[in-house]
Amino acid sequence: MDAAIDGPKETWVLAEFGDPTKLVEATRRMREQGFTRMDTYSPFPIHGMSEAMGLPRSKVPLLAFTGAMVGLITAFSFQTWMNSVDYAINVGGRPYLSGPSWVPIMFELTVLISAFSIVFGLFALSRLPQPYHPVFECEAFRSASTHGYWLSVEADADQASEKVLDAVKALGATQTAVVNGERE
Amino acid sequence: MAETTDIVLDPLEPRHLVPPHDDDKSLNEKLFAFMWAPPSKAWLALLGLALALLGLLVVSIGYTLYEGIGVWGNNQPVGWAFDIINFVWWVGIGHAGTLISAILLLFQQKWRTSINRAAEAMTIFAVCCAGIFPLLHTGRPWFAFWLFPYPSTLGVWPQFRSPLVWDVFAISTYLTVSALFWFVGLVPDLAALRDSSKTKLQRRIYGIFSLGWRSSGRHWHNYKIAYLLLAGLSTPLVLSVHTIVSFDFATGLIPGWHTTIFPPYFVAGAVFSGFAMVVTLLIPVRKFMGLRDVITDRHLENMNKVILATGLMVSYGYMMEHFVAWYSANTNEAFVFINRAVGPYAGVYWLMIACNVITPNIFWFKKARTSVPIMWVASILVNIGMWCERFIIIVTSLHRDFLPSSWGMYSPTVWDWGIYVGTIGLFSTLFLLFLKFLPAVAVSEVKEMQWEIKHAAHVAHDEAAHEAN
Repeated sequence: MDAAIDGPKETWVLAEFGDPTKLVEATRRMREQGFTRMDTYSPFPIHGMSEAMGLPRSKVPLLAFTGAMVGLITAFSFQTWMNSVDYAINVGGRPYLSGPSWVPIMFELTVLISAFSIVFGLFALSRLPQPYHPVFECEAFRSASTHGYWLSVEADADQASEKVLDAVKALGATQTAVVNGERE
Repeated sequence: MAETTDIVLDPLEPRHLVPPHDDDKSLNEKLFAFMWAPPSKAWLALLGLALALLGLLVVSIGYTLYEGIGVWGNNQPVGWAFDIINFVWWVGIGHAGTLISAILLLFQQKWRTSINRAAEAMTIFAVCCAGIFPLLHTGRPWFAFWLFPYPSTLGVWPQFRSPLVWDVFAISTYLTVSALFWFVGLVPDLAALRDSSKTKLQRRIYGIFSLGWRSSGRHWHNYKIAYLLLAGLSTPLVLSVHTIVSFDFATGLIPGWHTTIFPPYFVAGAVFSGFAMVVTLLIPVRKFMGLRDVITDRHLENMNKVILATGLMVSYGYMMEHFVAWYSANTNEAFVFINRAVGPYAGVYWLMIACNVITPNIFWFKKARTSVPIMWVASILVNIGMWCERFIIIVTSLHRDFLPSSWGMYSPTVWDWGIYVGTIGLFSTLFLLFLKFLPAVAVSEVKEMQWEIKHAAHVAHDEAAHEAN
C-alpha cells in the first residue's frame, strides 16, 4: 500500500442475498462480468463457493505436509542424537540406534508440528487475528456470521461504487451498503 | 414428493437430525439462548457442588504436596494404583470426543454435528484431569519438565526406549491437538456470538476470541480443508494415544500386563467409556438447555449402538486374555486370572464383568436403546465398570506377582479418594462453565447440515417435477 498513516480510505460495496444458492450464482455472474477483488460472507462454508469465486487451490495441505515432515525428521534426529550419540545408553541390550523405539515419538511429533502448521497456517493465510475490517462499519453486515449471505466488492476508479451497486441490484441483492475504511 | 418436514439425507434413517422448522436465525437464537439468559438456579446449584468438589481437589493436592506422596495408599508391591487407574480412566473418557469429532467426520456421519462440540470439550477437560495424576505421581511435580528433552546441567537425556517417555509426548500432543481442533471449530461460532451479543462487553470479549473472523469465503476456502486435515490427523492420534498408554503396561514383564492384546483392547475400552460419558453428560444437558430437537433421540440411539459395539470388543478382549492365560500354559499368567476371579479383589472383578460385559448387551433391544432413563443408568454403570477394569488390571497384577514372599495388599487412603473425587469436581466445573460461556452445539455446522438437507430436498423436488413434465 502506498497510503500514509492517514492515507486514502477504501470504499467497499456490500450486498446481501436471500440464500446461499443465490449468493453463489450472483458471485459467479459478477466474476463473469469482470468484477475483481470480491469476497463473500456466510455463516457456514457454502458448497461450490470456492469455484464460483475462482479461488486457487488451498495452500493448507502443503503446509500440513511440510509440518509433518519437519516433525518426523526432528523427532528421529533428536532421539538418535541424544540416546545413540551424545549419551549412548545400553537398555536391555538393544542396539544403540534402536529405530522401532523411536517410532512413537516420531509419530506424535509428526502430528503435533503438522497440526501447528495447519492452524497457524490457516490464521496466517486468512490474516487473522484482524480485529478491524471496513466491512464491520456496516451494522447490518453482522448478520454474515449468523444468518446473512453477503458479497463485498472493493471499489476504485475502474470499478466505481455506482457501477457495482447497479450490478448487484440487477442480480437480486436484497440489501446494499457502501462502507469506507482503511484497509488492514 | 414428501413434505418438507420429512426431509432426511439418508432414506434409511427416516428421523430428523435437525429441527425441521428452524431457519438460520431461529437456530441461532435457540442454540445461544442458554448463554444469553441469566444463569439458571439449576446451573448455579450444580456449579456450587462442582466448586465444592474442586475445593476438595485443591486441599487433597495441597496436602499431598506438603506431606509427600506417602499419604497415598500405594506402596510395594503395588507401586501404581489410583494415580494410574484414574489417569487411564480419564484419558479413556476423553477419547470419545476425538472419535466423534474426527473419525465420524471422516466417515461423513452427519449425526455427529449436534454432539461434537460438547464431546470435544469433554475430551480436553478429561485430559486435563488425567494429567494431574502422573504429574503428582512423579513426587516432585515442579521437576516435571525433566521429562522433556532439553540440554540440562545434569548432562543426561530422557530415555526414549521407555513407554513412560512416549506417554509424555503422546498425552501432551493429544491435549494440544485436541485444543487446536476445538478452537478452530469454535472460531465461526465465536464470531456469531460476537455479532449477536447483547452488551458491549460481550461483544468485545467474543470479538477478541473470534480473532476478527468475518465469515469470508476466502477464509472458508482454507478453513474447510484445514478442519478436514486436523480430523485426519486426530484419527490416528487418538488410536496412538491409548496404544501408548497400554504400552506402559504391555512392555512390562508382570503377568497380566505383558500381553499383545492390550493396544486394541485399551482403545476399544477407551471409546466404550468415552461414549458412555457423552451419554451421561448430554442427557441432562439437552434437557436443561432445551436442545431436544438438536440432540435427538436418534443421536442417543446411535451412541448406544457404539457403546454396544465397543462393549462387545472389550468383552472379546477379556475373553482373549483369559484364553491366552490358559493356552500359554504359563502358571504365573494363569494364576493372575484365577486370582482376579476368586482372590481378595474378586468383588471389583465381578462388578467389572457385570458393568462392562453384561450391561451393554441391553442395547441389543431397541426399547433400551431409546429409553432415556435406561441408557442413562447403563452409561453410568459402564463408567463404573471401566474404572473397575483399570483397578483390576493395575492392582491385581501387581499385588501378587511371581514370588509369594513379595505379595501384599493395597487399599486407597482418604487422600487417594479426595484427589479422584476432586478431579470429578474439576471436570464438572470446567464443563459447566463451558456450557454457560461457549456454544455447546457447533452452530455453524448445524446450519450447514440443515442447508444441505434443504438443498438436497429442493434438488430432488425439481428433478421430480421435471420428470413429471
